[in-house]
Amino acid sequence: MRLVSPKVRATPLDRMLRPVHSWIWADAERRARKLLRFAETEADGGRDLSRAAELTPDPLLRRLYLAHASDEQRHAELFRRRGAGILRSFPSRSQPAFQANWLAPGERGLDDLRVDNTPDDALLAFLHLSEKAAASRFALYREVLAHDPATRAVFDEILSDEAFHMNYTYSQLTRVAPRRYRRRLWWSRLARLWKGYLRLATALAGMMGTIVLTIQYFILLPPFAWLAKRAGRREAPGWTPISSKRNNSIRSQY
Amino acid sequence: MKILGISAHYHDSAAALVIDSVPVCAVQEERLSRRKNDAAFPLSAIDWCLEHGGVQPEELDAVVFYERPMLKFERILTCTLRSFPSSWRAFPKAMKNLLGEKIWVRGIISSHLGVPARKILFTEHHQSHAAAAFLTSPSRRAAILTADGVGEWATLTIGHGERRPDGSAAITLLREIRFPHSLGMLYSTFTAYLGFAVNEDEYKVMGLAAYGRPTMVDRIRKLIQRTPDGAFALDLDYFEYQTTAERSFSSRFVDLFGPPRESSEPIDLATATGQRFADCACSVQRVLEDILVEMARELQRETGAADLCLGGGVALNGVANARILAESGFERVFVPAAPGDAGCALGAALYADRIHFRNPDREIPDHPFWGPPVDGADLARVAREDSQLVEELDEYSLMERIAGDLAAGRIVGWMDGASEFGPRALGHRSILAAPHTAEMRDRLNRDIKYREEFRPFAPVVPIEAAAHYFALPPGGLRLARFMSGVFPVRPEWRSRLAAITHIDGTARVQALEREMAPRLYALLEAYGRCTGIPVLLNTSFNLAGEPIVNRAIEGYSTFRRSGIDILVAGRTLVVKRASSAAKLKETGT
Repeated sequence: MRLVSPKVRATPLDRMLRPVHSWIWADAERRARKLLRFAETEADGGRDLSRAAELTPDPLLRRLYLAHASDEQRHAELFRRRGAGILRSFPSRSQPAFQANWLAPGERGLDDLRVDNTPDDALLAFLHLSEKAAASRFALYREVLAHDPATRAVFDEILSDEAFHMNYTYSQLTRVAPRRYRRRLWWSRLARLWKGYLRLATALAGMMGTIVLTIQYFILLPPFAWLAKRAGRREAPGWTPISSKRNNSIRSQY
Repeated sequence: MKILGISAHYHDSAAALVIDSVPVCAVQEERLSRRKNDAAFPLSAIDWCLEHGGVQPEELDAVVFYERPMLKFERILTCTLRSFPSSWRAFPKAMKNLLGEKIWVRGIISSHLGVPARKILFTEHHQSHAAAAFLTSPSRRAAILTADGVGEWATLTIGHGERRPDGSAAITLLREIRFPHSLGMLYSTFTAYLGFAVNEDEYKVMGLAAYGRPTMVDRIRKLIQRTPDGAFALDLDYFEYQTTAERSFSSRFVDLFGPPRESSEPIDLATATGQRFADCACSVQRVLEDILVEMARELQRETGAADLCLGGGVALNGVANARILAESGFERVFVPAAPGDAGCALGAALYADRIHFRNPDREIPDHPFWGPPVDGADLARVAREDSQLVEELDEYSLMERIAGDLAAGRIVGWMDGASEFGPRALGHRSILAAPHTAEMRDRLNRDIKYREEFRPFAPVVPIEAAAHYFALPPGGLRLARFMSGVFPVRPEWRSRLAAITHIDGTARVQALEREMAPRLYALLEAYGRCTGIPVLLNTSFNLAGEPIVNRAIEGYSTFRRSGIDILVAGRTLVVKRASSAAKLKETGT
C-alpha cells in the first residue's frame, strides 16, 4: 500500500533558480553523472540509517529506520540504473561536463550526518528537515525533466517515498519529544545553517591554503626540485640493501 | 609488558594489544565505526582494546605506530619535487593532507592516551608486515617476503626470520624495492583502469581474471621489466600515481590498453569490451604471479628455508599464493589472517616486544579471532522487540536444525564468539549457504551481497575432508587455514559444488580445524550428515559497501535488510518473519 503523498513543492528559492536547474539537467552526460552521484549519496544515507537503527533503543524507530534504509538502498539502485542507462546511450567525452554539484545536491548531499552520539530526537529533526529539503528539490528536478520521461519517472517514484519519510520523521519526533519537538526543529535548522557556514569557511580556507602553497611551490621549490631530480637520476632501479641499523632502531619517526 | 600497536591514516586503521608477549585482542576501526576501510586514527579500536585487556593507558609500556610518518612525508615530498612542475596540482593537496594530521602521530598518541613521548615507538611499514607474517606463524625459521602498494619508501622487501633456541626471535630485512617501482601499485593501477576502487577492490580484478585470457601479457611486460639484479622496475611513462592522486595511469597507458572502464558500467563478458577487461585482468594477474613466483624461488635458493612468510596487501592474492606454494620450492607458505595494513598494528606490537625489548618468544594462538565477542542474549532481545520468531536451542539441536535449514536452501547469518581480525570471514561472522547449485550463488549475489556476477564465493570444509573435494598441493592445508590460497575443486565435485566453483574450476577454500572454530566445525559435520557433503558456502557477513558485522545488533540490521532467512548468534536463532511495510508505514505516521 502506498500512502497518499502530500503535494511536495519546490521552495521559493529553488523556484527562482529554475532556469539554472533547467540548464544543469539539460545536458545528458551531466544528468547521468548527477544521477550516479545521487546514487552514492542515497546509498550512504541508507548506511547512516541502518547505523541509526542499530543504535536506537526504541523498537518502533528501529523498524522505521530499517525500512527507511531499505528505501534509500532502492533509490540508490534506481538512480544508478538510470544514470548508467543514460551513459550507455552515447559515447563518453574525454572531458566530463561541469557538474554544478553545489547547485543541485541530492538527499543530504551537503549535510554531514554523524549518527553516533546523536540522540533520537535530534536525528529525527535532522532527517525531517533533510527529507523535506530533498523532496522539494526533487520536485523541482522532476519539473525541469519534462524532456526525459524515464528520469522523471525515477524522481516520481522516489518522491512518494520521500513524502512518507517526511511524515514519519515528524510524527516520531512529536512522539519521542512531545514537549520540545519545535525547539528541536529550530535547533536543527540553525545547525544546518551553521554547518553551511562551516562548509563555506572550510572551502574558503582550503582555497586560500591552496593558493599560498601553489605560490610557494613555484617560488621556493625549483632549486630543491632540481636537486631531487638530480639525485633521482643517480638512483638505479632494482634492490636497495637495508642496513642492520634500520632493522634495529624503532625509536625514530625518520 | 603491555604493548599497544596502532595502524592508521591510509586505509584499514586498527589497534592491537599484546600483554606478556601474547596478543590479547585486535580490531579494525571499521568494525566499530561502521565505516568501511576507515582510515581515521583508531580511537574506538584503541579504547576497546584497552578496555578488553583491562589496561589503563598509563600502564602501557609502549605504544608502537606501524610506520615512520616523517619518512613517509620525505617520500611524498621528494616524489613531488622530482615531478616538478607537473606536480603543481598535487603539491597543495599532499601538503594539506599530511600537515593536517598525518605527520603529528607522536603528539596525537601522546595527547589521546596521555603516555609520555618516550614510550611511543615507530616500526617501519614493512617491518610491521614482516612481523605480522613471521611472528604470528608457527615457523621456527622462514624466509620473509612482503609486498604492497607502498609503505614509507619500500614497496617490496625480502628477508628472513628466526626463533632461536635461546628463546629470542630475530627478523632481518635484507633488501627492498623502492617507490615508485611497486607490484602493488601496478595491480592497483589496473584496478583503477578496470573501474574498481583502489585499495579496496583488488580482489575483484582477481575474480575477473578467471574469465579472461592472458592475451596482454606482452603489453604488460612493457610496463614492468626485471632488472639484472633480480628486482623489477616500472616504466613510469605509463603511470601517474607517482605524480598525482587524481589518476593512476597515463594517456600512454590508455593508448596501449584502450579506454578505461566507467565504474558505473556493468562488465558484460558477452561483449568485446567486457572480454577486453577480463583479458586485461587475467594478464596483469599472470604477470604478478610470474614475478612473485620468480622472486620467491630466488629467495628460497638464497635462504634455503623450507618456510615462507608472506605479508603486505599483495599476500591477499590467493591465486598468486597458491602458485608460490606450488612452484617456488618452499614447503610451507604462511599468510596471516590480516596481511594488510590492519595486521600491521599487531605486527608492530609484536616487533617491539620480540625485537626491540628482546622478550622471549612465546607461542601465539593460531587463530584469527581477536575482535569483540557477540552476545546471543542481545540478539534475542532485539529480535523479540521486533516480533521476530526467536528460538534458543541446545547445541546439538541447534546444529541439526541449522544444517537442515541450510540443506533446504535457506541462507544463514552466523555469528559466534570473537570477530575475526582481517578481511576474511573465517567462521565467526559469516553468511552460510548450501554450496551445491549455481542458483544459490546467483541468489546470494542478487538478494544479499548485491555484487557483480563474476565474483566467486568461498567454501569452508573440515580439514580432514578438504583433500577429498579440493586438489590441495603439499602445504595447501596451511595456506587454506585462513583462506589464503585458491585451489582447484576436484572435477568430480564441481557440478555438486557449483555455487563455490569459480569459472576456472577453482575455489578459495578454508580448511577448518576443529580447535579453531569448534561450533562451525560441528555445523559442517551436521551438514555432512544431512547431505553427504560437509562443505558450506562461507561469505563475509556484510552488505555491499559495509564492514563485516561486529555486534549482534549489526547482524540483525543486516539480516533485516537482506535476503538472509535465519540469523544465529551463540545459541539464539531468529527466523525471519515477513513484516508488513504498509502496516509499519501506518504505525510510523
